[in-house]
Amino acid sequence: MERKNFLKSLMIGAVTSSVLIDACSKDSDVSPTDSSSSSSGTTSSSGSSGTSSCSVVPTETEGPFPTHTPASYVRSDITDGRTGYKLTIKITINNSNNSCNALANALVDIWHCDSEGNYSEYGGTAMQSTNYTSVHFLRGRQTTDSSGLVTFTSIFPGWYSGRATHIHVHVYNSSGTSLKVTQIAFPEGSGSAVTAVNGYQKGLTGYTYNAQDNVFSDGYSLELATVTGNTTDGFNLSISLSVPA
Amino acid sequence: MEGIIELHYRKVITINTSGAWEKLVFEDSFTEFKLQAQNFTVGTAYTSYAQLQRHVPQAAQLSARVTPAVNGYVKQLDGLIPDVLNNIGKRFLRFDQYQFELINSDITDKAKHQVAVNFYSRRLRWYKTIANLLLVSEMDEDAGAKQTNLFALPLYVNIKSFQPFEA
Repeated sequence: MERKNFLKSLMIGAVTSSVLIDACSKDSDVSPTDSSSSSSGTTSSSGSSGTSSCSVVPTETEGPFPTHTPASYVRSDITDGRTGYKLTIKITINNSNNSCNALANALVDIWHCDSEGNYSEYGGTAMQSTNYTSVHFLRGRQTTDSSGLVTFTSIFPGWYSGRATHIHVHVYNSSGTSLKVTQIAFPEGSGSAVTAVNGYQKGLTGYTYNAQDNVFSDGYSLELATVTGNTTDGFNLSISLSVPA
Repeated sequence: MEGIIELHYRKVITINTSGAWEKLVFEDSFTEFKLQAQNFTVGTAYTSYAQLQRHVPQAAQLSARVTPAVNGYVKQLDGLIPDVLNNIGKRFLRFDQYQFELINSDITDKAKHQVAVNFYSRRLRWYKTIANLLLVSEMDEDAGAKQTNLFALPLYVNIKSFQPFEA
């Protein structure tokens, strides 16, 4: 019971002034003996009506009303200040369970490393506070249009030890159920973007090519993107991914 | 024993929490948890955050991965810690740092989703205690009379650091 009161008191503190005003007017509407309504202990009105005299909570002007704000992953430009050769990423999702027709309203999450081969950090296990500028660079989410297409603006990924150049992709249906987790592979060899970018500052010494990559080595023809462009104008990547929806 | 303090308010939000802001945080953090957790549940029968924490070491990232779903709502607070009121009923505690925390969740059961937003106050000068009320001011007040606030420490608020005034 102690704990319930304790929780209730938290709830009273948790509401905005507008609700508190409501709570008090509701409180005066109900009979003081109607204390059974406090059993839920979950709303401000029941919290205040638990006793015959509600304690007077000082009020202040209503703050700005909260508005729905999408996750900051939802964006087309995922660069977030990372430097590198511009890469436009066009991913078309089609439905393998529906004659490979375009899949509209699918959520497409992508993430990849920066020019040095680093991912935006998630802080590991340490309890670490953050400020608003907390970065999740090179990660983003878009919803497919009627032709199944999403477009991202980013930079050409760098590479890191043990992996070929790649972009992670997670496709969900419109209700957020996972349909496919996969990775996009890049063409290699003379004339390829991988060769043109040449691993940025690192060069390509020690680079893992697709054939040796432990993710792609079992075959990557369905994950291999078409990449055009050059280091002056930037690159364009396009790929179609079939997922069972 | 007064001195310089920092406060930590752990605002717990569950499916039963009222308030428009709280409900938005609840809904959107659950949606994001569901999206992010499926990066780790692939090929497993796990559905809960507790199972993932126990069996999938990378799942330790989940609180941080869900954070971008609540950043926009924290910004809407305009740098004022909610719920902690001074003795005339106004929010006064400013924060720059916060941390989103997954407590429990399950991708198949929204009712199990419980989160907290941890707010860390700026440093405050704590001058004296009057009855159960602490008299504090912000650090950057000019010399002379300080703009102060008198408030009672509510539940879920901790003094997370203390430094005595210089003698």
